[in-house]
Amino acid sequence: MKTGAKIALTAALCLLVLVMAMCIGSVSIPPGDIAGILANKLFGLPLKERISNINAEILWKIRLPRALMAFIVGGALAASGTVMQSVLRNPLASSYTLGVSSGASLGAGLVMLTGASFSFVGMFTLPLVGFVFGLGTVFLAMGMTARLDRNMENQTIILMGMVLSLFVNAILTLVTALSREHLQQLVFWQMGSFSSKYWIHVAVVAPLLVVCLILLMRYTREMDIMTFGEEQALSAGVELKNIKFLLIAICALMTGTAVAFVGTIGFVDLIAPHVVRRVFGVKHVVVLPVSALFGGAFMALADLVSRTVLAPQELPVGAVTALIGAPFFAYVYFKRRKKAV
Amino acid sequence: MLSLSHVSAGYGGDRVIHDISLNLPMGRSLCIIGPNGCGKTTLLRAIAALIPFDGEISLDGRALSSMKRRDIASRIAVMSQMASVYLPYTVYDTVMLGRYQHMKRTFFGRPADADHASVERCLEKTGLTDIRDRRIDELSGGQLQRVFLAHTLAQEPQLILLDEPTNHLDMKHQVELISYLRDWAGDPGHAVIGVFHDINLAMSLSENVLFMKDGKIVGEGVFEEVATPEFLRELFEMDVVGYMEQSYGRWKALKEGDKNGQGIQEQI
Repeated sequence: MKTGAKIALTAALCLLVLVMAMCIGSVSIPPGDIAGILANKLFGLPLKERISNINAEILWKIRLPRALMAFIVGGALAASGTVMQSVLRNPLASSYTLGVSSGASLGAGLVMLTGASFSFVGMFTLPLVGFVFGLGTVFLAMGMTARLDRNMENQTIILMGMVLSLFVNAILTLVTALSREHLQQLVFWQMGSFSSKYWIHVAVVAPLLVVCLILLMRYTREMDIMTFGEEQALSAGVELKNIKFLLIAICALMTGTAVAFVGTIGFVDLIAPHVVRRVFGVKHVVVLPVSALFGGAFMALADLVSRTVLAPQELPVGAVTALIGAPFFAYVYFKRRKKAV
Repeated sequence: MLSLSHVSAGYGGDRVIHDISLNLPMGRSLCIIGPNGCGKTTLLRAIAALIPFDGEISLDGRALSSMKRRDIASRIAVMSQMASVYLPYTVYDTVMLGRYQHMKRTFFGRPADADHASVERCLEKTGLTDIRDRRIDELSGGQLQRVFLAHTLAQEPQLILLDEPTNHLDMKHQVELISYLRDWAGDPGHAVIGVFHDINLAMSLSENVLFMKDGKIVGEGVFEEVATPEFLRELFEMDVVGYMEQSYGRWKALKEGDKNGQGIQEQI
């Protein structure tokens, strides 16, 4: 199958997952009603008689923003995982390698502990503080790396990210130990969830993440060259230090935004690039956008499972991504390897 | 003309090469020879501006320190020891990456017709046309080294720097690679500098040699004039000529034995 056809198929699967996420739930909405509800909400066309107002409101105010939020966050995490694996030449690198989730968790923990609320951002206090702490941790790791190693070699970056993550996690452990009444709240936040995500959240997160993804698309050629090693990239003319810093900063921005709003959801960022490379080859001009599509669909599906399988109770979406993702990843990865042997 | 004036370089605070000055006109090749740890590779990396250096390096009168990375890459290309394969690009795509500094920056990175034409030429010159769509992780060491040669040629540099380019290659592929590069450097607009451990192989690239020890140049010129048995003994701390004669003598004896009906393999 040609690459164009594969991309079209992936896009169709994404659409299918989004439709499923809109239809399935405590109230079942027939797929045929979705177009009518969207036409009513977007263009003011009258609702068909068979479609109830309640269904229209559930779809428009609850399910669609939640599904879109899951799709956008999944896409952003997958795209940033793809970039980090290539920039650091490490198949186990992910969006979280440089400590963004540890930093964001510490920020969120401090907000929960102190009950702080900034009037100018109101309900966004926790995401804002989480975002600042997450991004701060990454930039601290990068700054310390630059001081220790002028060339900012990959192993120094990874080690510094790990050390700083452990250090920040230790502070978080101390904070939670001193404030046990907030322990449950913090643990649930860290597990990640898309519940109570509305259009206001989509409106804040979507533009930022889409702009970041477009910016990343401008550097796909550099990512290709960087996978051959730092010396090869320099020799080929890549301004390695600047571009590496820029790409990591964009990834930190994307991951920090995602974590700040929905908590730490792992696995998607790790597996999406591997699965996509198996099917689409390794050129970043294809792998990056398709990873974003795959990650988005995967996250929307995981969220659908998390809210329906034991309804009305919700499962932590991070656990669902791992439960679905691990066997799927093993199947795709080892099936190809077996073929190659 | 490549000119180095009082160049020192190293890693961290440690200097590995000290006060190196040399001139290499275009249309020439130069082999750098010396024992392990003498600074050969460091010198090569400094010439490619891959590491910071003191002193001045210029190409055709332009200081490398005043050039952008892309400018340097369009003039100087490094063909390193076998680069490791992290992701399995196709042969064609790997060679196309050598065109990076010639391409315009676009969102979807489509190469221009000129880039495709250049890659086709490089594939043809290096005999890779038939395997252009193969993944590079499926190639033999010799094929992979030719892919990296094609990638280097696609940069269209004036100067190619080789760091032990024949590692992982069998004798036939070693000779083919060196022979190709010697011819390439014969063009008045080109030059090649190679780092070698193997003196015989170095000689097959060029008679112009630069001997290094402890980060300094200890001899330079035409091989036969500089490399006296005493000089080589002092450089490598062993009787190089005696060893080579012994090896050749043994081979010759085996060969003569072969003529008498005993196979070389049998005697070994």
